[in-house]
Amino acid sequence: MMEGLKIKRVSKTLNGIRIVDDVTATFLPGRITALIGPNGAGKTTLFHLITGELKADSGEIVYKGDDISKLKPYIIARRGVGRLFQDVRVFDNLTVFDNVASACFDQEVESPWYPFVKCSHLKRKIREIKDVIYSYLNFVGLSDMDNIYAGALSYGQQKLLAIARLLAGGYSLLLLDEPTAGLNPVMIKKVLEILERIVEEDKGKTIILVEHNMSAVTEVADWVYFMNEGKIAFFGRTDHVLGDKEVREIYLGM
Amino acid sequence: MNYILHLLIMIGIYLVLSYGLNLVVGFGGLLSLCYAVFYGIGAYASTLLMVKVGISFIPAVLLGIVIAAIFAFLIGVPALRFRGDSFVLVTLGIQMIVFTILYNWVDLTRGPYGIPGIPRPVVAGYEITSLYEYLILVGVILLFSLSVLFILYNAPFGLALKALRDDEMAAEGLGKSPVHMFLYAFVISAVFASTAGSLYAAYVTYIDPTSFTLDESIFLLAILLVGGAGNRIGPFVGTVFMILLPEALRFLGLPDTVAPNVRQMIYGLTLIVLMFLRPQGLAGEYRVK
Amino acid sequence: MTLLLQLLHNALVNAAIYSLLAVGFGLVYRSMRFFHIAFGAVYIVSTYMVIAATVNFGLPLPPSIAIGLLIASVTGWIMDRTVYFPLENAGATPGVLFIASLGIYILFVNLIALLFGNEVKILLKGIEPSFSIGSLIFTRMQFIQFAVGWIVVLFFWIGIRKNTLIKGIWAMGETPVLVRVLGLPYKRMRTVVFTLSSALAGTASILTALDVGIDPHVGMQALLTGAVAVIVGGVDVFWGWIGGALILAVLQSIAVWQFSARWNDLITFGILIATLLLRPQGLFSPKKRREER
Repeated sequence: MMEGLKIKRVSKTLNGIRIVDDVTATFLPGRITALIGPNGAGKTTLFHLITGELKADSGEIVYKGDDISKLKPYIIARRGVGRLFQDVRVFDNLTVFDNVASACFDQEVESPWYPFVKCSHLKRKIREIKDVIYSYLNFVGLSDMDNIYAGALSYGQQKLLAIARLLAGGYSLLLLDEPTAGLNPVMIKKVLEILERIVEEDKGKTIILVEHNMSAVTEVADWVYFMNEGKIAFFGRTDHVLGDKEVREIYLGM
Repeated sequence: MNYILHLLIMIGIYLVLSYGLNLVVGFGGLLSLCYAVFYGIGAYASTLLMVKVGISFIPAVLLGIVIAAIFAFLIGVPALRFRGDSFVLVTLGIQMIVFTILYNWVDLTRGPYGIPGIPRPVVAGYEITSLYEYLILVGVILLFSLSVLFILYNAPFGLALKALRDDEMAAEGLGKSPVHMFLYAFVISAVFASTAGSLYAAYVTYIDPTSFTLDESIFLLAILLVGGAGNRIGPFVGTVFMILLPEALRFLGLPDTVAPNVRQMIYGLTLIVLMFLRPQGLAGEYRVK
Repeated sequence: MTLLLQLLHNALVNAAIYSLLAVGFGLVYRSMRFFHIAFGAVYIVSTYMVIAATVNFGLPLPPSIAIGLLIASVTGWIMDRTVYFPLENAGATPGVLFIASLGIYILFVNLIALLFGNEVKILLKGIEPSFSIGSLIFTRMQFIQFAVGWIVVLFFWIGIRKNTLIKGIWAMGETPVLVRVLGLPYKRMRTVVFTLSSALAGTASILTALDVGIDPHVGMQALLTGAVAVIVGGVDVFWGWIGGALILAVLQSIAVWQFSARWNDLITFGILIATLLLRPQGLFSPKKRREER
């Protein structure tokens, strides 16, 4: 069943400005779809609307068949929507290990009585999760820094940590806001490989990528939405959209 | 010797308080100025249940806990809609309101006259009278409280609270509900405050509203700010420092007339200096936002 | 009717004092965006300096009052230069400033208590002469409080509209970055904020103490009154602060008439919590609260 994420005629006005203007878009599972456009086009706001940080003025956001546009952010996250923030947002006063661990427990395990009523379950769960966490830390190359506070990491390392945290959360819809910004070419390559592997290994996963790095977009995304002034201006295959004369004029300045 | 026993008992009571508050201040990152409210509700509830209703110590303490938890829930639901300055102000306002009620509702609390002659606790048919016995009682309750709290600190519950404290938006994006988690922390911390309040009342056998003022809430918060919050050692360091400091001053030969003021001045100065040198407290790991 | 007039009259006198506190507190809270608890310390320092000048040095009251105000202003300025400003330069968060301020408050209150004792001190002895207009009775001190309070508020309002430095201070609260970008005299503006705020605290303190005396612990009450007035009225509207002060004063005098002064705190903080819950931007602020994130 090809469900994915459907955005239907969503609009949002903030401080008198229509930041997202009647956007309709579909993001299918098993592929990486890029969302590009100049600064202020409304890409990050659209992410805010999907994750519930902001509420749409009108329209519907349907994920796996349910309208999620009125739900609280934490409930949307529990439905499988995960997000990589543009400004990273790792937990500064937690260790690298705990940062990833914080994504691994569900609501029931996090309740205050769980360690008292299901003590043995918890111990087993923590043991299992330890291996999972280290596998993700290995994945991004941070496993030897597991005991360092995340606030002490460099920007690039924090970004990798945020990616590891997101992956550990096991989300089915990944919203990535500029995952390659601030990373060196080696790390960029690594991150892009990870993304491609995610959709290859699990066809049920949907990835939406906001990115200014066009070579990254060309490399991993098959389809591209081009946003400008709050509207979807173009949609099509990557080479087709990036080759469009108007897109190049508005966005790439060529 | 009696003097040392008394100090140990008071340290024990304040350790229950500070480790309980640690859940809200250290793990939740919320500067609450109404913790003395739950300390007072525990003291008054268990006392009134013993004096007016005539039930015995243990059930009175347990009922006091239930009452404090209900109040914490009713206070927490509106208060936890706020963060930062607004949260501090709302909790301060609640502290002032509850104190005003304790002070002026004379029919229930005897107001400024206080409640004297609180019966000594009877545990399993054994009446606790000597300081040694009190110390054992406090020690047992402290051990029980700490084992419960330390499990919570280490559990995914504590981790989720710390994540919400560091970055609420990111933690919410990982599926953590700020409303639920902070409310749990708020109510659980009130349970321990209430326990400490019942112990305090049963120990000094007299209570009046002046033990549960805004100053007391500030003092409890200062314990965590000085010692450091968000881990297992900070509250201990803070409690010992804040309780033993006045006694150290006594040994320095400071006359009793000036000692309380000098003590408070040192608390004030400590807070200022710490903000420059160690905003996370002597042994803490979390800096106030 | 007479009772109503008398109530209204008392409320207006109290509101004059509350407005001084609100403007003094609001000035720092709005421009610096942190909670200046030590405002309560400045409040008591001023009157105790007046007491020191009259009792210990035998000066007459008017110069003593001038000395008290001066020392209060300097105290506020020193607090900023020794604690707040260096902390802010080191990148302190509002929470850290709040706690440091709490430390200063505790330090000063107990220093004053140590030097002057904990009991209530009276500034003026004897019974205040009272006047009556029709059936309305008021004392000389009430008249002075009323006049001084409202004149100072009026001057301040004119200042906000005319004086460029105060205008800059007002703008600073909205966009703190702007001050440094535009190269406004940031340090001088801070000096003005803290000396003015402290002088206002001092004025309110001395006016109140002339009437009912003072003890070292009333600073917290004064600070909270000012803070509640500002927040209830709306941090971003000058007349909101005054409106907040008026509302507090009126409701308190109704409470005194209906119940007893002992329940005043219930009114004050009940209004505070109700406002924060129902209209967090303040009663007189037209701006709707922005989306939370």
